[in-house]
Amino acid sequence: MNVIKFELLKLRSKSRGWLGPILVFILIMVAFPLTVEISNKDLDQSFFAVLWIAILLVMMLSTEDIFLEDFNDGSLEQFAISNISLPYIIAAKIFIYWLLIGVPISIIGSLFCLGLTNSANLAINILPILLITSYIFINVFSFGNALSLNKGSALGTLVTLPLLLPLMIVLGKTVISINLNLNYLGFVALLLGILSTIILLIPLIISYIIRAHLE
Amino acid sequence: MIKKFIHQFASPKTYIYQVDRAYSYIFYISLVLYLVSIFWGLFLTPEDFVQGNSYRIIYLHVPASFISQSLYIAMAIASAIFLIWKVKLSVYLVRSIAPIGAITTFIALISGSIWGIPTWGTWWAWDARIVSTLILFIMYLGLISLHDSFSNHEKADKFLSILVLVGSVNIPIIKMSVEWWSTLHQPASITISDKPAIDLVMLYPLFGSIVGFAGLVTCLVILSSKLQILRRERNKSWIKNYV
Amino acid sequence: MFNFAFNSLSEAFLMQSQNGQNHGFFVWSVVVIVFLCILSTFIFYKINIKKLSKKLK
Repeated sequence: MNVIKFELLKLRSKSRGWLGPILVFILIMVAFPLTVEISNKDLDQSFFAVLWIAILLVMMLSTEDIFLEDFNDGSLEQFAISNISLPYIIAAKIFIYWLLIGVPISIIGSLFCLGLTNSANLAINILPILLITSYIFINVFSFGNALSLNKGSALGTLVTLPLLLPLMIVLGKTVISINLNLNYLGFVALLLGILSTIILLIPLIISYIIRAHLE
Repeated sequence: MIKKFIHQFASPKTYIYQVDRAYSYIFYISLVLYLVSIFWGLFLTPEDFVQGNSYRIIYLHVPASFISQSLYIAMAIASAIFLIWKVKLSVYLVRSIAPIGAITTFIALISGSIWGIPTWGTWWAWDARIVSTLILFIMYLGLISLHDSFSNHEKADKFLSILVLVGSVNIPIIKMSVEWWSTLHQPASITISDKPAIDLVMLYPLFGSIVGFAGLVTCLVILSSKLQILRRERNKSWIKNYV
Repeated sequence: MFNFAFNSLSEAFLMQSQNGQNHGFFVWSVVVIVFLCILSTFIFYKINIKKLSKKLK
């Protein structure tokens, strides 16, 4: 519990860490209707595509230095040899990032959905999907960031980006299922299953990678 | 005694000497098999009722895509062996299979898209199997660039193995995508349990070309692993005797 | 089972099917691309192994 509070204080004090991605997301979603001809039918179709891509890119941006500062000032080594297990600390860090960046973006995204498609059904149904999806994205991108930790380059993140493309296929089908009222709970269950596997595995993998970096 | 037999394969020196002896046999047998199957498929099989003569691309496209997925599974197994038992030869093999896998996937994508022009009218479609194969191609390239970006070889090996294992989630998606979603790509014609959906006359050259192509790809992997071992073990004493 | 599907070389070049389409261009371009890829990969690796062996001598 103390670990979570500690991470929360660290991220809150670094205001550009959590406010920046949220503002970028709002900027993308506001710029989208401006660049498209204002006709209500077309906005419906392309809105969700822009939404998923915007969330993907914003999550990639926000996890760019999730481990970098800690690695540079040595506190990552302290975490590695402390009593609390390293996967737990990493899971807490990712959870805090999701809480401060992922949840506001999901809420703002569903509000934009309400505004641009004028359908409360879509907006309410897309909110849990957005929450789960942003958590999965943050997990996978922090795995990518951990791979190229000492270089500080974006190579690790770019290499893990292709892993998320099948997820985008599933998300597209989820939106169709909301529109046609087909199998919505099935898709939510599928996403929850993917999320549960990833939450358990990714902190273990990242702790192995960080220990390899610190040697 | 079995342990000793298996342990001797873990040394790059034994591997390279034994592989040198077997290389010519594998190369010539698989080359003959592949050329005979391609010739048989291109000239001696009757034309298809639906697709006309353009179905003959199957003898080039199916071996390439099947082998590219099998190469990734081989990389995943070798990565697991490296992470558990720390056998250096395994990770040399992983690094040497990666470019060959990229080339095979490239062949599969190109032949598939050129086949799509007469069959479907379009050379690209965003359906699940094609996109997943494209993702496999990008993953192969990402593996090569990740390994080459590290100057410390031990770290590079570990991260390469982890990334191969994490990315192996793509292979079930490719194999099952034609069953899970109804897509443009046709379902598998050859399964383990049912009768094949393709005529027997066309099936034999297909098997021959798959086995022949697998042999040729094995020769390429042997060459690539030789290059990798020479690079990584250049400071060892047995290299002087070998070259 | 072993009859030739085409009666002459020019027919094999065009590969005309029963509904009248000429698919020979597609099939032969795929054959050429695949053989070029495999051949160039073999040559690339053989040349690099020779270069590296010479350097290590």
